[in-house]
Amino acid sequence: MHAGPAIETQGLRKSYGSHEALRGIDLRIERGTVFGLIGPNGSGKSTTLKILLDILRPSAGTVRVLGEDPRRAGAQLRRNLGYLPGELRLDGRLTGKRLLRHLSRLSGAVDQGYMHGLAERFGVDLGRPIHSLSKGNKQKVGLVQAFMHQPDLLILDEPTSGLDPLVQREFHTLLHEVCERGQTVLLSSHVLSEVQQVAHQVAVLGDGQIVGSGEVDALRLRAIRRVNAGIETPEPARTRELLREIPELAGLDVNDDPVGLRISGTSRGDIRAFVRELSTLPLADLSLEEPDLEESVLHLYRERGQGQLRTASQEPEPEQQHGRNGGNDA
Amino acid sequence: MGGTGETMRNPLPLTTHAVRSSARGLLVWSAGIAGTLFLYLPLFPSLGGASELQAIIDTLPPELIAALGYDQITTGAGYTQSTFFGLIGFALMVIAATSWGSALLAGAWESGDLELELAHSVSRTRVVLEAALTLLMRISVLLAVAGTVILALNGPAELDLEPQNVAAALVALGGLAFLSGAGALLAGALSGRRSIATGVGASLAVLGFAFQAVARQSNDLEWLGNLSPFHWAYDPLPLQEGFAQPGLPLLWGVGAVCVALTVLVLNRRDVT
Repeated sequence: MHAGPAIETQGLRKSYGSHEALRGIDLRIERGTVFGLIGPNGSGKSTTLKILLDILRPSAGTVRVLGEDPRRAGAQLRRNLGYLPGELRLDGRLTGKRLLRHLSRLSGAVDQGYMHGLAERFGVDLGRPIHSLSKGNKQKVGLVQAFMHQPDLLILDEPTSGLDPLVQREFHTLLHEVCERGQTVLLSSHVLSEVQQVAHQVAVLGDGQIVGSGEVDALRLRAIRRVNAGIETPEPARTRELLREIPELAGLDVNDDPVGLRISGTSRGDIRAFVRELSTLPLADLSLEEPDLEESVLHLYRERGQGQLRTASQEPEPEQQHGRNGGNDA
Repeated sequence: MGGTGETMRNPLPLTTHAVRSSARGLLVWSAGIAGTLFLYLPLFPSLGGASELQAIIDTLPPELIAALGYDQITTGAGYTQSTFFGLIGFALMVIAATSWGSALLAGAWESGDLELELAHSVSRTRVVLEAALTLLMRISVLLAVAGTVILALNGPAELDLEPQNVAAALVALGGLAFLSGAGALLAGALSGRRSIATGVGASLAVLGFAFQAVARQSNDLEWLGNLSPFHWAYDPLPLQEGFAQPGLPLLWGVGAVCVALTVLVLNRRDVT
C-alpha cells in the first residue's frame, strides 16, 4: 500500500469557460485522519471533491489520491474510494437493497453483513423503493453505499445534510471508528460547528481558494463572534469616549438606543479580554453569536491580507488578486 | 445471495442490472410488436392477395405509393414490408431503441445515477460499452419476438416468406433501431441531456425515412436516398432478395462508429 498522504493536490485549478471555480488549491491530507473542507456554497468544495474522483477533470495542477493520478488510475483506484455526492437524487423504482447490490457489484467485494449493519445503524429500511424514501433516508442509503466496501478513503460531500441529530451522532461515531481502522475521511460542509466536532484538520475554501487551513483551533474561527449589547448609560457622549479607548471594543459600531447605547459588530481575538472589558460597563443585555460561515471566511480573507493566519498554501500572488477584482468590475 | 463474504465478480454488472430492472418494459414492447403483427399479417389473404387492394392502390397518387413503398403490396413480402418493417414495426423499434439509448446514458446522467456509478470501480468505457450491449440485447429480444410471430403467421396468412429473407429483414430492422439508439447514446455523451439524446435518435430515423421517400420521387434525387439509413437497410427488399442490401454493413457500421465516438467523448469530458 502506498505510504504517502491520502490526498495531495498542487495548484489545482478548474475553469468553466471564463468562470474560474478553483484558483489553485493545495491540499495535503494524511492517512487515518478526518479532514474537513468548509466553505460557503459555491466556494468550490464539490468541484474539488469531484476532481478527486475523476468525475470532473482539472484545468491545471496535479492531483494524487492514494498516491495515484485519478485520471490515469481510473476504475482500479476507485475501488478504494467511497463517495457521497453532494446532490444525491436517487429516484429510481429500485429498492435500496437492489441499488446497493448493484453498486456493490461495481466496487467488488462487499461484506453483506457489514452493509446491512450500516443500514441498521442509520435506521433505514432497504426494502422500500428508493423514490418513496424521505430526503434523510435517501441520504442514509447514500452513506451506506459510500461506506459498504470499506474503502481506504471516503470522500463525503455534505454528509449530514438532511439527517436528524441522532443519526448525525451515529455518523460521527462511525467516522471515529473508520479512522481508527486506518481509513481516511474527507468531508465537506458549510456548517462550521459540525466540522469542528469531527475533523482533525480543516481547510477553509472561499471563492475557489484556500483561505486558511490547519488544526481547527488554530484557525481562530471560534474567536470570531457577532456581538450585540445594550449599555444603560445616562451620559451616552461620555460613554462613547470611554468605549473608544478600550482596544477590544474599538472596532464595533456604537449607536444611540432607548436603553442608552447599543454596540454591535464582530469581535476578534481573545474572547476573555473582550468579555472582561464589557463587564465593566453597565450592560442591559448581551448576545454573542457564532457568525455564519460566509462571515468567518470574509474575516479569514482580511486576516490573510495582514499575514496573521497560518496558511498551508502559499500566499496569493498580488497580480491574481488584482486580476480578480478587475474581473468582477468588468 | 444474502450471504456474507465476497460475491462472485459479475463480468457485465451494468448490463445485468439494466436488463433486470427493465424486464417489465421489455415485455410491454414485445407485446406491442407481437400485437401489431397479429393485427396486420392475418389480413393479407383478404387484402393484399385480393385484386380489390390493387384497385385501391391504383387510385392513389404514384408519389404516395412510392413514398410508402406500396408498389409491391400485393405480394406477401411487399405487404409485410409495407405494414411492418417499413412502417409500424420500424416506428416501434426506433422509438424503443431511442428511448433506451437516451435513458441509458443521458437519463442516468440527469438522474445522478451515472455520477454514483462512476464513483465506484467502473470505467467510462465500460459504461458506454455495456450500455450499447444492453441496447443490442433488448433489440435482439424484440427481433426474436417479431421473427417468431412472422414465421408462425407465414403459413396461415399465406405470406410465402423465405425464413432466411425474414432473417435479412430482421437484421436490417435491428440495424435501424441500433443506429437510433447509438445516436441517442452519442448525443447523450455530448450533451448530458435526455431530451437532446431522444431528439437526435428520433431525427436519425425520421430523416432516414424522409430522405428515401423523397428520393423515390425522382431519379434526380436518388443521391438523397444514398444518405438514408432506411435505404441502406431495405434496398433491395430483404424479404424478397435476402441479404443482398449493399448498405447493410454501412448501417451497422455507422451504429458501431456512434458507440466508439460515445466512448471517446465520454472519456474526455466532465460529468457535470
